[in-house]
Amino acid sequence: MKLLPAILRCIVVSSILSLFSFAYAAEYLSGPADYIYSPRVEEGEREIDTKFGTQTPRSGEDSRQSGASIGFGYGVNSWWFTEIYGKNIWDGTNSQFDAIEWENKFQLTETGKYPVDLGFLIELERPQNRNEGYEAKYGFLLQSEWRKWQANLNLLMQGHYTGTENQGTYFGYQGQVKYRLQPELELGAQIYSWLGQLNSWNTNQQQQTSAGPAIFGKTKLGKKEALVYNLDYLWGTTTASPKNTIRMQIEYEF
Amino acid sequence: MKKPIARLVLALMVGVVSHTYANTTDITIKIQKGRFIPSQIEIPADVKVRLVIENLDDTPEEFESFDLNREVLINANSKASFYIGPLSPGRYKFEGEFSPETAQGVVVVK
Repeated sequence: MKLLPAILRCIVVSSILSLFSFAYAAEYLSGPADYIYSPRVEEGEREIDTKFGTQTPRSGEDSRQSGASIGFGYGVNSWWFTEIYGKNIWDGTNSQFDAIEWENKFQLTETGKYPVDLGFLIELERPQNRNEGYEAKYGFLLQSEWRKWQANLNLLMQGHYTGTENQGTYFGYQGQVKYRLQPELELGAQIYSWLGQLNSWNTNQQQQTSAGPAIFGKTKLGKKEALVYNLDYLWGTTTASPKNTIRMQIEYEF
Repeated sequence: MKKPIARLVLALMVGVVSHTYANTTDITIKIQKGRFIPSQIEIPADVKVRLVIENLDDTPEEFESFDLNREVLINANSKASFYIGPLSPGRYKFEGEFSPETAQGVVVVK
């Protein structure tokens, strides 16, 4: 993968995004089943991806929010990974289908060539509530490694468009650090944060930030089969954040 | 005040990229009859190396290494490349995920 094609790809995806930005009228949702994206793409990888999360609200009057998703992903080539999800949410009494989502991830630099691997994410979602229109999430994905340590930082924007609810485009970041102890168990920490609207960041306490410890791992099931997991417990660090969040992801790779 | 800072950032970026290119060595490993050839390579410590994996077989293979934090598919009769390092001295195992009985190798860093 040469630098010039990588730059061209970046220009192409940025152009696609600029088309969306004209029609944008959106809001962000920090879902209980969110996860940290990696910029790396593995060609030919097929996976069934399940995620689950539950959030305890800060106010005792609000009900617990939970979410789950199941998806199928495929590494089309060495720089493009695509995945389709179905998402469900429930609040303890009511369960409902929430949205269908299409994730596309582009690896822009050759693995390990630069101190930081760079990728780009475009995720489009069709919420079941049609008043929300469509949701888009996009941004740059960064990954670096040093010895047995790995760090990720993703700079993301999210919003809804063509709807009547949840106006605005929001900016946030997510990050993780992990120590690659052994394949079945890696130790680390994660942080998820939404800072506010692009043109008007919230005050510190109005930002939604959760952080906490995480574990990761991969177990081989056969020659071409493996289970990959990560699990974390997050504390809300501001008054606008959920009190705590438990989330997990399990992927069956084949 | 802004211009000197911008120049410094640009110089650092150019420096990082030039440094990356200036110190990279290519090493080719072939896959033949489900084996890595050579199965052991030696590289100096704290140096970035570009591994070119050339699959001469009619079936795909996946270069996998937890030690090196790499998983790369090499299609049949094709090449793939990626970078490893800088690494500290030690032995870093890798294997072919589709034929792990025979496709075993190690990067020795000295």
